[in-house]
Amino acid sequence: METWNYIEYAAWGLSALFGLYMVIDWFKIDTTYSEDVLTSSREGELEAMTEQHKV
Amino acid sequence: MAEVDITSKTMDGMGPHGTKVGLLRVLGPAHVWALGVGIVLVGEYMGWNFAVGKGGAYAALIACWFAGILYTCVAMIDSEVTSTVAAAGGQYTQAKHIVGPLMAFNVGLYLVFAYTMLEAANAITAGYLFSVVATMSGYEGTLDQRPFIILVIMFLAWLNYRGVLATLTFNLVITAIAFVAILVLFVSTSGLVGAGIMQHAALMEGAASLPYGWIGVLAAMHFGLWYYLGIEGTTQAAEEVRSPARALPFGTLAGIMTLLIAATLTWYICSGVLPWEFLGDGVNGSVAPLFDTARLSGSNGLIWLLGFGTLFATLASANGCINDASRAWFAMGRDKYLPGWFGAVHPKYRTPYRAIIFLVPIALIFALGAPLDQVITFSILSGLLEYTFMPLNIIMFRKKWPLNTIKRGYEHPFHPLPAIVLLSLCGITFFAVFLGYGTQLVAMIGFYIVVSLWFHFWRYRFVNRGAQFTMPWPKPQGY
Amino acid sequence: MAHYSPPTQSKVSQLIDVVVLVALTVGALFVPLWLGMAGSSKSVAAPVENPTWETLGQNATQAAQYEALGYTPASAHDLILARFDYSFTTGALLLMVAVIVLYYVLMLRFSEIEYREVISEKFGEK
Repeated sequence: METWNYIEYAAWGLSALFGLYMVIDWFKIDTTYSEDVLTSSREGELEAMTEQHKV
Repeated sequence: MAEVDITSKTMDGMGPHGTKVGLLRVLGPAHVWALGVGIVLVGEYMGWNFAVGKGGAYAALIACWFAGILYTCVAMIDSEVTSTVAAAGGQYTQAKHIVGPLMAFNVGLYLVFAYTMLEAANAITAGYLFSVVATMSGYEGTLDQRPFIILVIMFLAWLNYRGVLATLTFNLVITAIAFVAILVLFVSTSGLVGAGIMQHAALMEGAASLPYGWIGVLAAMHFGLWYYLGIEGTTQAAEEVRSPARALPFGTLAGIMTLLIAATLTWYICSGVLPWEFLGDGVNGSVAPLFDTARLSGSNGLIWLLGFGTLFATLASANGCINDASRAWFAMGRDKYLPGWFGAVHPKYRTPYRAIIFLVPIALIFALGAPLDQVITFSILSGLLEYTFMPLNIIMFRKKWPLNTIKRGYEHPFHPLPAIVLLSLCGITFFAVFLGYGTQLVAMIGFYIVVSLWFHFWRYRFVNRGAQFTMPWPKPQGY
Repeated sequence: MAHYSPPTQSKVSQLIDVVVLVALTVGALFVPLWLGMAGSSKSVAAPVENPTWETLGQNATQAAQYEALGYTPASAHDLILARFDYSFTTGALLLMVAVIVLYYVLMLRFSEIEYREVISEKFGEK
């Protein structure tokens, strides 16, 4: 049966497509935004505001 | 700052104008359940049956329940700590605040490896499923499984890249289907409805009851973990859950209960239909035992249901693994435990996109280059080291911050009994791993020793000392 | 203690760190495989000539299930008879225990040293 050979090719193709999407988007984001903005996430900032612990 | 809405989708609440880019708080308790159970449920569809091969069907059941106790302890301990330490990175962040930086670095690596290896194992299984479907549909050649393995990893990485809400909603749906498939198979084959096909007595009589004797029961503990491995990953969602202090304990404990039921049912169904030698050989025999059971039931409907169940379970698991491994990798990058480059969040999708992309080739190396049981062992070993860390963690947590010093969303009962039970069960499991995979065990610990030295003497210089302690807690007692 | 400010790491150095880590990881998994030291292989201790379900030790039910799965006694021979070898030496067991304990002790000690530094910088000396 030939069908499965086509499905194999389709799987290769789709994998490449998903991979390509991520790589292109990654490149776009990295060139659009500054490194400072991208890595500005800090652990626990939210907790410091929203949770009450006696310090 | 008090009026900041933490559920806002346009502002992350991390700065007065939302200029900082953080992960997005969009998940509810059902997503936490889906993340936890989704990762693990595949363990019922494949992999657990290596335990049968290690000691026979009864040994696998005993291992299933003892591992169940182990994981109940894990879930309780984890729920308490994580209801207080709510940050991406989960156990890594816990270790950083409670035990110390080097421990945290190790725990972070355990997490990443346990999940990435599990992801690789899932992709291998999915590839195998495609080849079975091809054969069943009349294809005569041998299907090349590689494109399907790669496609699974690529597709799920892409889904994760695009946002956490869609990722985990997808997980919720397919996990629920996979769980229902087990229930349906149980109801329709056990004799509850119509004639049953269970033949436990005949299949497990004589030499087939405990083929290796009691040492086989110990050896089975190794793969007994596989029934539940990954449930502790719920904590990784901490920065993306709307109400971590409530949703995380709830989702985790509901998850472990679901799994205890699913694991026992799975054992019952499969061991009542498949001879143990076939069931126990996950490479040459039964790769997907629930699916094989459905095949023997003679019902086409069940075959399709369990076929999809198996596929969905592998997808849900790989999906959750990508989610968890990338959160842990991201959190370590953010603290400069790993190159700070990884600590980036996608400004639009709000996901740790660089961590997600980086882990894709790693998963591919293992999925395409190593046999299934080796990959599973690598994953189990990383998990086991992590579970050994947990009792140490909770004992230190209770000592440094006794119950009345900080608010906990959940307090686990009978402390320190769960910690002691957990530690003993980990010891037994180390022995079980030693029986079959002693070399890997030593190679792996050798790896962690080398990496620890590398971290302590080189990598740690890039880490901020005081600033990495981010929880608004009082000073620990005894310091 | 004085506030510690970490050096900024260059891109190249970050890259080297990642490569080192990946190389170590791949090594830990594949070196035992390449050296052929990966345990876990099953072997058939006593092969049976011209096997039947009876000589393979299968009762009627078990044989029926194997046939339903598409096996013949010949094709199921290896699957049924292969067994793990659980024998081990005390020396190897002690070595394993020593390695695990050493690992945790090492890690907890270093962690404690680093942790005290973190706490004293965060909360100030007592």
